[in-house]
Amino acid sequence: MNGPAGSTVPSKPRRNWPLWLGVIGFLLAMTLWSAHGIGFSLFELVCNITRGSRLLEESWPPDFGFIPRLYEPFMETIYIAIIGTVVGGILAIPIAILAARNLTLGPLIWFTDRNFMNILRTLPDLFWAMLFATAVGFGPVAGALALSVFTIAVISKLWSESLESIDMGLPEAIRSVGGTWREMIQFGAMPQGLPHYVSYALYAFELNVRASMVLGLVGAGGIGMILKTQQANFEYERVTMIILAVLIAVLIIEEISEAIRRRLT
Amino acid sequence: MTETSNNQNAGAIRFGKANIVYPNGVVGMKDLDLEIKPGEFVVIVGSSGAGKSTLLRAVNGLNTLTSGRVEVNGEQVPRKDGRELRQLRKQIGMIFQDFRLVKRLTVMSNVLIGRLGHVPSWRTLLNLWPTEDREIAIKALERVGIPDKAWIKASDLSGGQQQRVGIARALAQEPAIILADEPVASLDPVTTHQIMQDLVRINRELGITTLVNLHFLDLAREYGERIIGLRFGELVYDGSADTVTDKDFEDIYGREVSKDDVLDEEAVDG
Repeated sequence: MNGPAGSTVPSKPRRNWPLWLGVIGFLLAMTLWSAHGIGFSLFELVCNITRGSRLLEESWPPDFGFIPRLYEPFMETIYIAIIGTVVGGILAIPIAILAARNLTLGPLIWFTDRNFMNILRTLPDLFWAMLFATAVGFGPVAGALALSVFTIAVISKLWSESLESIDMGLPEAIRSVGGTWREMIQFGAMPQGLPHYVSYALYAFELNVRASMVLGLVGAGGIGMILKTQQANFEYERVTMIILAVLIAVLIIEEISEAIRRRLT
Repeated sequence: MTETSNNQNAGAIRFGKANIVYPNGVVGMKDLDLEIKPGEFVVIVGSSGAGKSTLLRAVNGLNTLTSGRVEVNGEQVPRKDGRELRQLRKQIGMIFQDFRLVKRLTVMSNVLIGRLGHVPSWRTLLNLWPTEDREIAIKALERVGIPDKAWIKASDLSGGQQQRVGIARALAQEPAIILADEPVASLDPVTTHQIMQDLVRINRELGITTLVNLHFLDLAREYGERIIGLRFGELVYDGSADTVTDKDFEDIYGREVSKDDVLDEEAVDG
């Protein structure tokens, strides 16, 4: 019936339509239910869309005269991102290695480290920023500390998983010459793991530049702080300028880091 | 435990009622009794899964016995990771089918890895190798005939040359024993013979006890002094390579010996 006689390919299984319709119906129902829950109404949105456009009108054109005053907070944002990436990146190394099942020092250490990582990751960067802001005062130091924690969370998660997939032949060869655990890591695992590490560290830097703007909103220094002030003063043309500047900076940084990462892997 | 390399037992291996059962229930070694004297050149044959690798890896503790005992240099192989096992391993060189080199490092750096167990930890951390150890590494490269490749990246070498680096790394350990796990399985026939000749020559020149896993019967016959046959983890043959017959091989493999079990000789002679 299906295909020429004597074909060894079995006939194509039929698509399970009831299942598909069921899944789509379920997703639709979930969305409607949630929209109702937050009081979302399409009708109100359409009626009030003009208010949004008024905001956009006030925000245009961007205030280019504001650029010189952006330089300092902008650099502060970059400094915060760099410190966060370097400090967090270094601390992430042992945490990631001990969380990799094939390299860790024992089940208890693995379990503890793994859970530690999960806690770091579960708490959002805004929480860390507020925590450190209360501890060391509002400003860029709090931002840098918050991003260090955030960087540990990002790199240790990604890298420990990529370390688990390395070829264990070389590490075993290091053991077989009488090498210690540290030597096994250094000579056996790192040659394979390092390119990934660099790639993840660059990725973390990209995230950090973006995050350090948001952190400014809660008083952790950088360009986000200026953004908040200008917004509070209804200086929407300046707000647009800030967003534009950040957008361009993020695009440039991502382009550079992606070019490096592509060369690595 | 002290240095055992001057010990008269250096290079001796002895298994007594040794068993290895893997966690998945597979029997890797069954009631093995075996004695290997210092300086012997032993070829281990058997079909895949017969326990050849298991036997080699039990010697340097990469596999732990489930029961029984294995002694190296007259001392029991420690069952747990730690200082004692490292002390033993530094006297046992291992050569792998897939070479296991750090591809992006130079040949010299790879051979120096063989010195890891002999050099203080802070030096290996900083990659500061003493001159004596560098000289030992160069001598090891000379012995396998590739001192000119010292500063070339390992990935830029041919398969045969990479295996020579693997042998040099083992020699740099100044070992009493060399374990070669299918050292020629990923090489072409010509290179295969060169590597086998290297192993035999090193065994004769330095008197290092050498255990080689092979699956080609003609190679076993040509290069082995003593042949050990394994089947389902059991020792089923132990004798001289000069007297081993096709019938013996059939017993080891549990089937007719075919053309697939010998390396194509024409590629070498022709």
